[in-house]
Amino acid sequence: MVKKSLSLLILILCVGLIMMGCPKKTVVKEEPSVAKSEEARKLEAERAEREAKEAKERESAKIKEQEAKKERERELEKSLVAKKTPGIEGEVFESSLLKDIHFDFDKYDIRPGDAEILKGNAALLTKYPKVKIQVEGHCDERGTVEYNLALGERRANSAKKYLISLGIAADRISAISYGKERPLDPGHNEEAWAKNRRANPVILSK
Amino acid sequence: MSKHFILLVFFLFLVFIPSAETRVYLDINAPAFVQIPIVIPKWKSVDKTPPALSEKAYEILANDLTLSGFFRVIDYHRLPIHLRDKEGIPAGVLLQEWIPAGGEILLAGETSLESNGLTLRLRFHLFDLVEQRHLVGKQYEGHLQNLRNIVHRVADEVVLQLTGEKGVHNTKIAYAVLQGEGKEIFISDFDGANVKQITQNYSINLSPAWAPDGKKIAFTSYLRRNPDLYLIDLDGKNPHRFSYYPGLNVSPSWSPDGKQIALMMGMEGKSDIFLIDANGGNPKKLTKSHGNEASPSWSPDGKRIAFVSDRSGSPQIYIMAMDGSEVRRLTYEGNYNTNPSWSLKGDRIAFCGRVGGRFNIFTIANDGTGLQRLTSNSGNNESPCWSPDGRYIAFSSNRTGVSKIFIMNANGINQRPLTQSKGGESSPSWSRRFE
Repeated sequence: MVKKSLSLLILILCVGLIMMGCPKKTVVKEEPSVAKSEEARKLEAERAEREAKEAKERESAKIKEQEAKKERERELEKSLVAKKTPGIEGEVFESSLLKDIHFDFDKYDIRPGDAEILKGNAALLTKYPKVKIQVEGHCDERGTVEYNLALGERRANSAKKYLISLGIAADRISAISYGKERPLDPGHNEEAWAKNRRANPVILSK
Repeated sequence: MSKHFILLVFFLFLVFIPSAETRVYLDINAPAFVQIPIVIPKWKSVDKTPPALSEKAYEILANDLTLSGFFRVIDYHRLPIHLRDKEGIPAGVLLQEWIPAGGEILLAGETSLESNGLTLRLRFHLFDLVEQRHLVGKQYEGHLQNLRNIVHRVADEVVLQLTGEKGVHNTKIAYAVLQGEGKEIFISDFDGANVKQITQNYSINLSPAWAPDGKKIAFTSYLRRNPDLYLIDLDGKNPHRFSYYPGLNVSPSWSPDGKQIALMMGMEGKSDIFLIDANGGNPKKLTKSHGNEASPSWSPDGKRIAFVSDRSGSPQIYIMAMDGSEVRRLTYEGNYNTNPSWSLKGDRIAFCGRVGGRFNIFTIANDGTGLQRLTSNSGNNESPCWSPDGRYIAFSSNRTGVSKIFIMNANGINQRPLTQSKGGESSPSWSRRFE
């Protein structure tokens, strides 16, 4: 009986101890946890702030980039002059950013200086990957209609091939010969002829 | 037109004709010939025929014979006074009185308008004034509205009687005319009358070529932003795009049977000579060089094609078989020879060559011999094309400051502008004879 009572007491004590000990232990454990959480919250807030700032920056950069793109497009857009020719279907655009090249009499090879111009044209086409162009081959008034059509075909294709060699996709460039039918300068002298022997890129679609 | 045009031809005064058929008064194949002086007295107006009608017929006829280049026309205004008003057809015994007129041949005729006011009849007789004999007499009849056509038949017959081959007065010439920034296709009669605009699309329309049947014209147009081939009726109706491969579809030349067309095409990034069916199908590349190939022209037997190639470094005239084989170079003089046109008589090829910075018309035999220069000191002369009888060449010339179509005899004499237009003309193409 006494033994049983003792056992009960111990049990009670133990329970009491456990009951007393537990809250004590909890307090001890809780103290650093609260400190850490506050720090984390701070860090979290900082990070969130930083991230928000970064996102904002990214957003603004994106907007800036879009604006720049729009600006570039505007730049291309601004450079465009619509060209509607009577009796010829559709409308094309000429751009001051896409430059003509010129040829020697009865020749269709690209001159070294003109190769640089074509590199500039290719850079522009790389910058504006949606743009499709048509290269118009032209000749001076000397010689026959038909032979000049053949020569113009070559000139347009010389320019086209050169652009392809610079990495522009072939399906973005078409070629057309106008022979001597559309002179830039109506004069009948060497100065006019030199201007008229040209390959002129026009934009078919943007 | 044939519905209205009932042609009646019969021989009169058969008693006067001893051996006229065999004599050719003028050998036009000779390198130089003297024009036949031909006296044309005033034409008689039979019964109630208005004299103005006879006068009109007379003017057209005198002009036709002048344009032919074979005659020096002595018209009645320039005759001695006592002959000036003599009209009608003289009887054989009266031929002597025409000797003072100064001609070798006398062409007398009369005009009669039927009482219906619609049917016109022209009757004429040719006399040899040197031998004092009658050569031939004929009569042509048709609807009044075809007056020019009927007179042209008279002129054609006179040319046949005196030179051995019919004239080309009933032919037309198609050409391109600068209009604004484009070019339109026009046609005109051989004598420059009846100028008609065939296209009116404001585009660049180039190198017209008559279909061999004379009913349609093929030409290149940039209407769809590519130089494509079209066919069009002579009244400008039914334009039909029939060859539109990417790149060039230009400079058509019909095979003599009208079944195929040789042309310049740019399918491979440069101009080559191709053959297509007359409907535009079945393209076949004939040229194999790396050069520019241009301006095909069929031989009249349909077996060969003359063309331009710069495979040797400068444009020159070449000939190949119609399958692209047997290529040979024809021209060696000069460094810019283009625009070959094969005579319908088959023996010569006309072309445009550059000499000292100027372009001129030449002919050369199809074996490369006998080079002849036909134009000189007269601006630039380009795009020669032959008449169906091989006796004339039409070409473009800017000798008057603007480019105009000119016509000359095949030996280079008698160069005259086709029409009185303001110019801007190029690329003539000569029709067959309209019967």
